[in-house]
Amino acid sequence: MRNSPPERTVSSVDLPPVERIAELRITRLFESMRPDLLRFALWLTRDRSIAEDVVQESLLRAWRSRDALKDPACSRAWLLTIVRREHARLYERKRLELVSLNDASEHEGSALLSQDDSEVQALRGAILRLPIEYREPLIMQVLGGFSVEEIACELSLSASAVLTRLFRARNKLRVLYGMTPAADASGSEESP
Amino acid sequence: MNCDEARRLIGAEPYVTSRELAEHLQGCRACAEFQLEMVALEANIRRALEEPPVAARPHARRRAVVARSGWALAASILLAILATLAVWTLRPSNSLAREVVAHVIAEPQSWASKDAVSPRALEEILRKSGVILGATPYSVVYASSCWFRGHYVPHLVVRTSHSLVTVLILRNEKVDARQTFHEDGLAGAIVPAAQGSIAVLGEGSAQLDDVAEEMRVAVRGAAESP
Repeated sequence: MRNSPPERTVSSVDLPPVERIAELRITRLFESMRPDLLRFALWLTRDRSIAEDVVQESLLRAWRSRDALKDPACSRAWLLTIVRREHARLYERKRLELVSLNDASEHEGSALLSQDDSEVQALRGAILRLPIEYREPLIMQVLGGFSVEEIACELSLSASAVLTRLFRARNKLRVLYGMTPAADASGSEESP
Repeated sequence: MNCDEARRLIGAEPYVTSRELAEHLQGCRACAEFQLEMVALEANIRRALEEPPVAARPHARRRAVVARSGWALAASILLAILATLAVWTLRPSNSLAREVVAHVIAEPQSWASKDAVSPRALEEILRKSGVILGATPYSVVYASSCWFRGHYVPHLVVRTSHSLVTVLILRNEKVDARQTFHEDGLAGAIVPAAQGSIAVLGEGSAQLDDVAEEMRVAVRGAAESP
């Protein structure tokens, strides 16, 4: 395998003050978002140690590509996208090593469920048990603030398919509250 | 639009109501009730997801646990408690201020706005965070609903007689007393409010207290509205 070219070798102390300040700012910016990224990764992976690895790797990738971040106002969405892609890469590489649904609900799930009222506890458990194809768009929408179109673009799906997945995710959660699930007339999802 | 289609849209985006959907809801009580249920459910989903996963334990460590003597176990628990206490007590008291500054710096376009935000747009942004803003002597020239410490918070920029001042309404961040800070060329203050706190920042400290006080009085939670 070919080694990638060496990255920047200039240490930040060698940089002119303006660039050093810019680097400090972006470091602070990334660090300030770490809790958000970790929460997002944890809901995706359902495993604390994997989530931490995903976030660490994502921040490294983000730092290497920081020049691509033209608008700092978009940094949150940009970083969350990197986390999601890193998780997807990991999922493809280690598909079978990820914890099972039962493990997730018993271990990481129970950790997530601690110190809260029972209604939200039950809901967290149900979210954790959602299959990834429903959990991922739901987390992207609710935690990440992504629009349906952005989720569609990121997941390589049609907007209609994303709407269907989001509907089905919430429809499954309705059952927890003793609500009747809405009729699912959407049939199979539309392809991208 | 039929009921199935309406419910699919509501289930996918409970807070979004297109014109077509609104027309359907006007004539369909069952779907209107369905939307109310989904909005209520959505609030709980947000609560469920927003809670930071602080209690989750490392996977590998869990499986690597070996039998220990009672004393060793007790000592580890004590150490863990002390470490937690140390982290908590040594946590920089101004970390909130730092995050506020980092957030504002990350949104430089907020300082470029000149035109007043329309009352409707402002109301929409405030509503997302459950906030109502009464009358203030300032014009709001920038308003955005921003994700901050696990919640959507209103991020406003108001024009005073001398300058622009950023205001973050932090309903979920309680502070015991007024804090002031200077960082990255910005002066700021975080003041306690009826619910949470309010952060104000500007390039100079002039008028910050005035803005903070006006906002403290003008901001109230949606549940408090008459």
